[in-house]
Amino acid sequence: MSVAEIMEARFGSRLLETTTFRDDLTYSIAPDDWREVLEFCKESPDLAFDMLDCLIGDHLPERMEAPLQVVVHLVSHTYGHRLRIKVALPEGKTLRSLTDLWPSSNWDEREAWEMYGIYFTRHPHLRRLLTTDDFEGHPMRKDFPLQGTIGGPIRTKLKGKI
Amino acid sequence: MSGLVFPNFDGAPSVSKAQMLSGEALRNASDQDVLATMGGAVRLPGGIALPVQIERVLGFGRSFSYWPLLFGLACCAIEMMALGGSRFDMSRFGMEAMRASPRQADGMIVAGWCTTKMAPRVVRLYEQIPDPKWVLAMGSCAISGNIWDTYGVVQGVDSLIPVDVYVPGCPPRPEALWQGLEMIREKIKKSSHAYDGLRRIPARDALELEGAE
Repeated sequence: MSVAEIMEARFGSRLLETTTFRDDLTYSIAPDDWREVLEFCKESPDLAFDMLDCLIGDHLPERMEAPLQVVVHLVSHTYGHRLRIKVALPEGKTLRSLTDLWPSSNWDEREAWEMYGIYFTRHPHLRRLLTTDDFEGHPMRKDFPLQGTIGGPIRTKLKGKI
Repeated sequence: MSGLVFPNFDGAPSVSKAQMLSGEALRNASDQDVLATMGGAVRLPGGIALPVQIERVLGFGRSFSYWPLLFGLACCAIEMMALGGSRFDMSRFGMEAMRASPRQADGMIVAGWCTTKMAPRVVRLYEQIPDPKWVLAMGSCAISGNIWDTYGVVQGVDSLIPVDVYVPGCPPRPEALWQGLEMIREKIKKSSHAYDGLRRIPARDALELEGAE
């Protein structure tokens, strides 16, 4: 059985949207099915997705009702197949962390939270990864200002004293 | 011996003048007299005074062994590596030994943009380099932030640490960095800007300002 057959037999209409681009299969799911679908991908012996390639956040402000998105790329070394899973999120919706299934999602989730403000519950330490701890805001959102003032005031204040 | 050229130090007394103070005269002379004969004193932190002449001889030696910190922040570091490689060959000037430990280095080449996350590390590395030390800011990003006027990039490393020489470019050619290092060598020879322990570190100033507010 192919990945598509297994997934559709198990979840059916809960897979909201299916696209295939250059043999890469993508499913869109609802946020409430997130944990169940990914647990099945990991635990099912016929799928055996043993590696989480990447977990990415995304911000699409033109989608008013669900501006945020998380994309997960899964790889199975046993069978050599791949799968992408997308979940569209309204503002403030949280997801269950995947760190217990794939430890590699740890930093990816930290980055998704830091850059887009997508919160993952039961994450071991959801701290900022790439910016400083006192940073405010989520810089990869489309409404974040492109030109920042961080570093600027220090430079202008002290320029004459150096 | 005719091929040897000794450097002509500005204001250094001639050999005959220095020899005037010898024998009985030297034993009787006060410390001030000796210092004046040797071109005046250079004050060091801690109250030690060195005659200018000795300091300049030391500077002459130092200028041929400027060892930068092995430290690259971004793409400018590639050009820095090219300068260290065989084509441009920094080792002709005694600069090939890039030290991986700040405690063995004579200064740093800040090659590339510095993020706010990296800024405390840059300041710490600078502070760990023993005096005297010279800093070269390489490339537009290290000088001013370049196009990265964004949330994460420090707008010029001179807001963090004192910078001696700026080398503009995006990235600068290895020749440009070479010229910048030559300018640093000139500074070392003159011992100008040598005792950075007496200077203010901008990042520390900013922290003090923040604390005062």
